[in-house]
Amino acid sequence: MVTQGHQSHVLIIGAGASGSVAAARLAAAGFEVVCLEQGDWVGPADYMSAQPEAELAWVERWNPDPNVRQGLADYPLTGDADVRPVMYNGVGGGLVQWAAMWQTLLASDFRVRTLDGIADDWPIGWGDLADCYAQVARDMSVSGLGGDPALPEMDPYPNPPIPIGKIGRVAAEGMDRLGWHWWPGANAIASRRHGSLQACQRRGTCMIGCPENAKATPSLTHWPSAQAAGARLVTGARVTEIPVDEQGRVQGAAYLDRDGVEHFQQAQVVMLAANAVGTARLLLLSASSRFPDGLANSSGLVGRRLMQHPYRTVTVVCEDPLDSWQGPWGQVIYSLEFAETHPDRDFLRGAKWMVMPHGGPMFAAAEYQEAHRHDGFEAVWGANFHRAADEVFGHAFTWGIQAEDLPEDHNRVTLDPTMCDSSGLPAAHVEYRVSDNTRRMLDFNVARAVEAAEASGAVSTLVRDVWPTGIGHVLGTTRMGNDPQTSVVDRWCRAHDVPNLYVIDGGVFVTGGSANPTATIMANALRVTDHLIEARASQEIPA
Amino acid sequence: MSGSGPTPAQRLTLDRLADVLVPEGRNMPAASAVGVSEGLLDRFLDAAPALAEPLLSLLDEAPAEGLDAFVRHLASQRPGDFAVLSTTVVGAYFLSAEVRRLTGYPGQQPNPLSVASEPDYLDMLERVYERHPGYRECS
Ligand SMILES: Cc1cc2nc3c(=O)[nH]c(=O)nc-3n(C[C@H](O)[C@H](O)[C@H](O)COP(=O)(O)OP(=O)(O)OC[C@H]3O[C@@H](n4cnc5c(N)ncnc54)[C@H](O)[C@@H]3O)c2cc1C
Ligand code: SF4
Repeated sequence: MVTQGHQSHVLIIGAGASGSVAAARLAAAGFEVVCLEQGDWVGPADYMSAQPEAELAWVERWNPDPNVRQGLADYPLTGDADVRPVMYNGVGGGLVQWAAMWQTLLASDFRVRTLDGIADDWPIGWGDLADCYAQVARDMSVSGLGGDPALPEMDPYPNPPIPIGKIGRVAAEGMDRLGWHWWPGANAIASRRHGSLQACQRRGTCMIGCPENAKATPSLTHWPSAQAAGARLVTGARVTEIPVDEQGRVQGAAYLDRDGVEHFQQAQVVMLAANAVGTARLLLLSASSRFPDGLANSSGLVGRRLMQHPYRTVTVVCEDPLDSWQGPWGQVIYSLEFAETHPDRDFLRGAKWMVMPHGGPMFAAAEYQEAHRHDGFEAVWGANFHRAADEVFGHAFTWGIQAEDLPEDHNRVTLDPTMCDSSGLPAAHVEYRVSDNTRRMLDFNVARAVEAAEASGAVSTLVRDVWPTGIGHVLGTTRMGNDPQTSVVDRWCRAHDVPNLYVIDGGVFVTGGSANPTATIMANALRVTDHLIEARASQEIPA
Repeated sequence: MSGSGPTPAQRLTLDRLADVLVPEGRNMPAASAVGVSEGLLDRFLDAAPALAEPLLSLLDEAPAEGLDAFVRHLASQRPGDFAVLSTTVVGAYFLSAEVRRLTGYPGQQPNPLSVASEPDYLDMLERVYERHPGYRECS
């Protein structure tokens, strides 16, 4: 028998970055909210970050790749992809493991078609997000310094920036010598006690879970107030389908609990917040006679235009000790020098750079091995093994370079025809190619980063090719737009085809920019939720 | 760690394979000298239990002679198996207190931040501000 949950006003699917924002806002406004999340609560007691084995957390349990981690809440990702998405499935979603780098999009990111003649414009502009950017930065206890001339003016961040430390200083001096843009990094890491966060203790384990509760994650920043206001969060609840009634309105969602028992949660409105892979998968799983190609997919764009910010790194090895195993592992400084289109370059759009520490000796060895992977066994093993610990460990920092990949229809998420998750649902099949434009962009930026390293006095650099696993940025598979034929949701992120279905995760991005996406995902989720609250009287609901 | 754990013979084989990857040098001890096949291996496999099975079958497969060639063969022809072996050896090696002392790695220890004083980079930032043309207008 299928158990029926009491009808909620709003059902949110996914308790990650976007779902948590919506739940807290709706509950505060008096809505009855239920959120279904396939994963569990996690917190400091689950992390390995405070153990001597912290570096080993990456090998398996806290590897960001669900295919490696293979946790109960994870679903497999199959397919032939130059870059395979990574994510975390649990309360907080990707923000359990994120590096907390906080970056708004550029103003130009919303007008790529108008300015550069490629891709598409967004149906909204930077100004439409300005107030929400400021609000989510406060909610997330962001530490940073305003005034970056490369960005529109914004409210000050609630906390002072994290000190840039030795690595930031050396990197900034190089940029200063070259006359290139740099700015102290903003991070959703508390530089002092703020809101629900403690002050950062520089453990540098941010991406395997912060044991000090200093990094913003929704179980600290959003769920306590959401639950206090009455929101109900059901964990271990894997949504399998979102059915529609005869009028084409969604009625709620079917889900399986941890024991495989089927339930149905009724709702007047459904908000999908399962990330750009999970949401596309669920819409495709919800095909029906009315929507044979997948729910809300009359445009044929559900699952297409996946963007991931292909990523390369240049690790800068210096003579002096830089104590660079210390955290935080967010962005110490960043640069937007090469983030905009330039007429002299053989590619359109650009990349964002950011400086990070490199972690402990195991990481230093891995970085060394990756950079020398084509140089043969002798270069990194045997007599040369100790060079990594000797030369790189504690003496290096990394310039991470993330490219703006343009939306392309063939980069897509579909359902795997054979492989299933532990509940028997088809795995997500991902096809993704790094385009020539992106490769040229990365080659150019890597060459500039090596120049920056030299200007910083580097004794050597370790250059890596495009990372085969992603950096957790999954965008674009349910794009926003004004035209139902060329977009999945409207400017308020409501499905063109289904009046009571919203998508609020990173899938709605029209283009990806080069900024880390979460500030925009959360700001947009807040914008859309506020609109739903304001327009509640005119919201269509099932009979 | 699940099961009965590695046998003495498997541990011995791991020591010999590990020294091909991480021999003594640059004032650092060889992998076998710090006990990568002993308690460190157990700690490693506790943290990464899914590697136990592929690792142990690799150790069973290793020949009695010619371990150097075996390791090189894994590296060039069987990257997945080589990753199991090398991750285990490197992971266990850097757990060693002796190795940590010699590399100067204290572990990911807490170390409070101080944001009390004024940043010492404001002069450089002033120059960024002065030379930047401003963000790209898009209306
Ligand atoms: C290692 C790592 C580092 C990162 N670092 C940064 C950074 O420094 N800065 C930055 O801006 N971004 C970073 N990101 C990206 C950031 O985590 C994502 O942008 C953000 O979490 C996406 O938000 P979302 O709401 O779209 O989805 P998510 O946060 O991914 O949440 C989706 C949730 O939906 C749930 N779900 C999916 N399918 C179902 C289903 N069928 N039933 C029930 N529940 C379901 C999932 O379990 C998950 O919890 C990082 C990501 C990773 C993995
Ligand atoms: S560096 Fe700061 S934010 Fe990162 S894990 Fe340590 S205490 Fe947490």
